[in-house]
Amino acid sequence: MASPTDAVATAAAADDPATGLRGVRALRELADRLEVLQVRAARDRGWSWQEVAEALGVSRQAVHKKHARSRKET
Amino acid sequence: MFECFTDEARAVVVRAQDVARAAGADRIEPVHLLLSAAAGTGPGAGALRAAGLDADRAAASAAAAEATLLAGLGVDLDLVRERAEQSFGSGALDTRSRTGRLRFSGAAKRVLHEALRAEVAVGSRRLDDASVLLGVLAVRDAVVAAVLRDQDVEPLDLRRRLTTRGAA
Repeated sequence: MASPTDAVATAAAADDPATGLRGVRALRELADRLEVLQVRAARDRGWSWQEVAEALGVSRQAVHKKHARSRKET
Repeated sequence: MFECFTDEARAVVVRAQDVARAAGADRIEPVHLLLSAAAGTGPGAGALRAAGLDADRAAASAAAAEATLLAGLGVDLDLVRERAEQSFGSGALDTRSRTGRLRFSGAAKRVLHEALRAEVAVGSRRLDDASVLLGVLAVRDAVVAAVLRDQDVEPLDLRRRLTTRGAA
Protein backbone atom coordinates (compact mmCIF):
# COMPACT_ATOMS: atom_id res chain seq x y z
CA MET A 1 0.00 0.00 0.00
CA ALA A 2 2.75 2.50 0.89
CA SER A 3 5.01 3.48 -1.98
CA PRO A 4 8.72 4.17 -1.36
CA THR A 5 8.05 7.94 -1.44
CA ASP A 6 5.31 7.45 1.17
CA ALA A 7 7.82 5.60 3.32
CA VAL A 8 10.29 8.47 3.05
CA ALA A 9 7.56 10.98 3.90
CA THR A 10 6.45 8.86 6.87
CA ALA A 11 10.02 8.55 8.13
CA ALA A 12 10.58 12.31 7.83
CA ALA A 13 7.28 13.12 9.51
CA ALA A 14 7.97 10.65 12.34
CA ASP A 15 10.81 12.90 13.53
CA ASP A 16 8.29 15.68 14.03
CA PRO A 17 6.88 15.81 17.58
CA ALA A 18 3.45 16.82 16.23
CA THR A 19 3.30 13.56 14.28
CA GLY A 20 4.84 11.48 17.05
CA LEU A 21 2.45 12.78 19.69
CA ARG A 22 -0.55 12.41 17.43
CA GLY A 23 0.56 8.84 16.69
CA VAL A 24 0.63 8.08 20.41
CA ARG A 25 -2.88 9.47 20.69
CA ALA A 26 -4.07 7.30 17.78
CA LEU A 27 -2.55 4.28 19.50
CA ARG A 28 -4.26 5.14 22.80
CA GLU A 29 -7.61 5.59 21.06
CA LEU A 30 -7.13 2.26 19.29
CA ALA A 31 -6.30 0.59 22.62
CA ASP A 32 -9.47 2.13 24.10
CA ARG A 33 -11.58 0.64 21.31
CA LEU A 34 -9.99 -2.77 21.85
CA GLU A 35 -10.54 -2.44 25.59
CA VAL A 36 -14.27 -1.87 25.07
CA LEU A 37 -14.49 -5.06 22.97
CA GLN A 38 -12.48 -7.15 25.41
CA VAL A 39 -14.29 -5.91 28.52
CA ARG A 40 -17.65 -6.60 26.92
CA ALA A 41 -16.54 -10.13 25.97
CA ALA A 42 -15.27 -10.80 29.49
CA ARG A 43 -18.48 -9.53 31.09
CA ASP A 44 -20.53 -11.63 28.67
CA ARG A 45 -18.57 -14.66 29.91
CA GLY A 46 -19.41 -13.82 33.49
CA TRP A 47 -16.26 -12.02 34.60
CA SER A 48 -16.81 -9.75 37.61
CA TRP A 49 -15.76 -6.10 37.45
CA GLN A 50 -13.07 -6.97 40.00
CA GLU A 51 -11.63 -9.65 37.70
CA VAL A 52 -11.73 -7.35 34.67
CA ALA A 53 -10.02 -4.60 36.69
CA GLU A 54 -7.26 -6.93 37.87
CA ALA A 55 -6.57 -8.14 34.31
CA LEU A 56 -6.38 -4.54 33.06
CA GLY A 57 -4.25 -3.48 36.04
CA VAL A 58 -6.62 -0.72 37.14
CA SER A 59 -9.01 -0.22 40.04
CA ARG A 60 -12.48 -1.77 40.04
CA GLN A 61 -13.98 1.73 40.34
CA ALA A 62 -12.06 2.94 37.29
CA VAL A 63 -13.13 0.06 35.08
CA HIS A 64 -16.72 0.23 36.29
CA LYS A 65 -16.92 3.98 35.74
CA LYS A 66 -15.47 3.65 32.24
CA HIS A 67 -17.44 0.65 31.00
CA ALA A 68 -20.64 0.12 32.99
CA ARG A 69 -22.36 3.12 31.40
CA SER A 70 -21.38 2.30 27.81
CA ARG A 71 -22.86 -1.19 28.24
CA LYS A 72 -26.25 0.27 29.01
CA GLU A 73 -26.06 2.53 25.98
CA THR A 74 -25.40 -0.31 23.57
CA MET B 1 -16.55 36.17 19.61
CA PHE B 2 -18.81 35.13 16.69
CA GLU B 3 -20.18 38.64 16.07
CA CYS B 4 -17.29 39.50 13.74
CA PHE B 5 -17.65 36.28 11.72
CA THR B 6 -18.86 36.58 8.13
CA ASP B 7 -21.73 34.30 7.07
CA GLU B 8 -19.20 32.13 5.29
CA ALA B 9 -17.03 31.81 8.41
CA ARG B 10 -20.07 30.87 10.49
CA ALA B 11 -21.03 28.30 7.87
CA VAL B 12 -17.54 26.77 8.11
CA VAL B 13 -17.88 26.42 11.88
CA VAL B 14 -21.39 24.95 11.65
CA ARG B 15 -20.51 22.56 8.81
CA ALA B 16 -17.41 21.34 10.70
CA GLN B 17 -19.88 19.70 13.08
CA ASP B 18 -21.31 17.57 10.25
CA VAL B 19 -17.86 16.83 8.83
CA ALA B 20 -16.63 15.60 12.23
CA ARG B 21 -19.71 13.47 12.82
CA ALA B 22 -19.52 11.92 9.34
CA ALA B 23 -15.88 11.03 10.11
CA GLY B 24 -16.96 9.24 13.30
CA ALA B 25 -15.00 11.70 15.45
CA ASP B 26 -16.07 12.48 18.99
CA ARG B 27 -14.84 16.07 18.84
CA ILE B 28 -14.37 18.73 16.18
CA GLU B 29 -10.69 18.86 15.25
CA PRO B 30 -8.73 21.36 13.14
CA VAL B 31 -8.87 19.00 10.14
CA HIS B 32 -12.68 19.15 10.22
CA LEU B 33 -12.50 22.96 10.00
CA LEU B 34 -10.12 22.56 7.04
CA LEU B 35 -12.45 20.14 5.23
CA SER B 36 -15.46 22.27 6.06
CA ALA B 37 -13.79 25.36 4.60
CA ALA B 38 -12.80 23.38 1.50
CA ALA B 39 -16.46 22.44 0.98
CA GLY B 40 -17.52 26.09 1.04
CA THR B 41 -17.59 28.89 -1.49
CA GLY B 42 -15.80 31.73 0.29
CA PRO B 43 -12.44 33.35 -0.48
CA GLY B 44 -10.70 30.81 1.77
CA ALA B 45 -12.15 27.91 -0.23
CA GLY B 46 -10.93 29.64 -3.39
CA ALA B 47 -7.43 29.98 -1.94
CA LEU B 48 -7.42 26.27 -1.02
CA ARG B 49 -8.34 25.30 -4.58
CA ALA B 50 -5.75 27.69 -6.02
CA ALA B 51 -3.11 26.14 -3.74
CA GLY B 52 -3.97 22.73 -5.20
CA LEU B 53 -6.30 21.21 -2.61
CA ASP B 54 -9.15 19.03 -3.85
CA ALA B 55 -11.96 18.75 -1.28
CA ASP B 56 -12.80 15.09 -1.98
CA ARG B 57 -9.21 13.91 -2.01
CA ALA B 58 -8.50 15.91 1.14
CA ALA B 59 -11.41 14.15 2.88
CA ALA B 60 -10.02 10.79 1.75
CA SER B 61 -6.54 11.53 3.11
CA ALA B 62 -8.01 12.77 6.40
CA ALA B 63 -9.90 9.48 6.67
CA ALA B 64 -6.65 7.57 6.14
CA ALA B 65 -4.74 9.67 8.69
CA GLU B 66 -5.30 7.34 11.65
CA ALA B 67 -3.89 4.36 9.74
CA THR B 68 -0.95 6.47 8.55
CA LEU B 69 -0.13 7.70 12.06
CA LEU B 70 -0.27 4.15 13.43
CA ALA B 71 1.85 2.87 10.53
CA GLY B 72 4.43 5.47 11.54
CA LEU B 73 4.68 3.67 14.89
CA GLY B 74 4.87 0.25 13.21
CA VAL B 75 1.25 -0.66 13.91
CA ASP B 76 -0.75 -2.09 11.02
CA LEU B 77 -4.34 -0.90 11.57
CA ASP B 78 -5.67 -3.25 8.89
CA LEU B 79 -4.14 -6.21 10.70
CA VAL B 80 -5.51 -5.07 14.08
CA ARG B 81 -8.94 -4.63 12.49
CA GLU B 82 -8.73 -8.09 10.90
CA ARG B 83 -7.90 -9.72 14.26
CA ALA B 84 -10.64 -7.79 16.05
CA GLU B 85 -13.19 -8.88 13.45
CA GLN B 86 -12.08 -12.51 13.75
CA SER B 87 -12.81 -12.37 17.48
CA PHE B 88 -15.71 -9.95 17.69
CA GLY B 89 -17.38 -9.94 14.29
CA SER B 90 -17.46 -7.72 11.24
CA GLY B 91 -17.17 -3.99 11.91
CA ALA B 92 -16.16 -4.60 15.55
CA LEU B 93 -13.50 -1.90 15.50
CA ASP B 94 -15.56 0.71 13.67
CA THR B 95 -16.44 3.80 15.67
CA ARG B 96 -20.09 4.63 15.99
CA SER B 97 -21.12 8.11 14.94
CA ARG B 98 -21.96 10.25 17.94
CA THR B 99 -25.35 11.78 18.34
CA GLY B 100 -25.89 15.26 19.75
CA ARG B 101 -23.61 18.24 19.47
CA LEU B 102 -19.91 17.59 19.20
CA ARG B 103 -17.59 19.85 21.15
CA PHE B 104 -14.55 21.62 19.77
CA SER B 105 -11.25 20.03 20.75
CA GLY B 106 -8.68 22.23 22.46
CA ALA B 107 -6.80 22.52 19.17
CA ALA B 108 -9.95 23.47 17.24
CA LYS B 109 -10.75 26.17 19.81
CA ARG B 110 -7.25 27.50 19.38
CA VAL B 111 -7.81 27.61 15.59
CA LEU B 112 -10.62 30.11 16.17
CA HIS B 113 -8.53 32.16 18.60
CA GLU B 114 -5.64 32.24 16.13
CA ALA B 115 -8.06 33.24 13.35
CA LEU B 116 -9.23 36.15 15.47
CA ARG B 117 -5.67 37.11 16.33
CA ALA B 118 -4.65 37.08 12.66
CA GLU B 119 -7.44 39.52 11.81
CA VAL B 120 -6.72 41.80 14.76
CA ALA B 121 -3.06 41.85 13.73
CA VAL B 122 -3.91 43.25 10.29
CA GLY B 123 -6.49 45.66 11.72
CA SER B 124 -9.44 43.84 10.18
CA ARG B 125 -12.71 43.49 12.04
CA ARG B 126 -14.19 40.81 9.83
CA LEU B 127 -13.31 37.18 10.19
CA ASP B 128 -14.05 35.13 7.07
CA ASP B 129 -13.37 31.53 5.99
CA ALA B 130 -9.83 32.50 4.98
CA SER B 131 -9.21 33.74 8.54
CA VAL B 132 -10.37 30.36 9.87
CA LEU B 133 -7.89 28.68 7.52
CA LEU B 134 -5.10 30.99 8.74
CA GLY B 135 -6.03 29.76 12.20
CA VAL B 136 -5.83 26.15 10.99
CA LEU B 137 -2.32 26.80 9.65
CA ALA B 138 -1.25 28.52 12.89
CA VAL B 139 -2.03 25.39 14.93
CA ARG B 140 0.49 22.59 14.52
CA ASP B 141 -1.83 19.69 13.74
CA ALA B 142 -0.28 16.50 12.39
CA VAL B 143 -3.43 15.42 10.54
CA VAL B 144 -3.82 18.78 8.81
CA ALA B 145 -0.12 18.66 7.90
CA ALA B 146 -0.55 15.16 6.45
CA VAL B 147 -3.58 16.18 4.38
CA LEU B 148 -1.75 19.20 2.95
CA ARG B 149 1.34 17.10 2.25
CA ASP B 150 -0.74 14.43 0.45
CA GLN B 151 -2.12 17.11 -1.84
CA ASP B 152 1.26 18.79 -2.39
CA VAL B 153 -0.11 21.96 -0.85
CA GLU B 154 2.73 24.10 0.43
CA PRO B 155 1.60 25.68 3.74
CA LEU B 156 3.57 28.89 3.09
CA ASP B 157 2.05 29.21 -0.39
CA LEU B 158 -1.42 28.63 1.05
CA ARG B 159 -0.81 31.22 3.79
CA ARG B 160 0.28 33.77 1.19
CA ARG B 161 -2.87 33.11 -0.87
CA LEU B 162 -5.04 33.43 2.22
CA THR B 163 -3.50 36.72 3.35
CA THR B 164 -3.78 38.26 -0.13
CA ARG B 165 -7.34 37.10 -0.76
CA GLY B 166 -9.46 39.61 -2.59
CA ALA B 167 -6.32 41.57 -3.48
CA ALA B 168 -5.69 39.29 -6.46
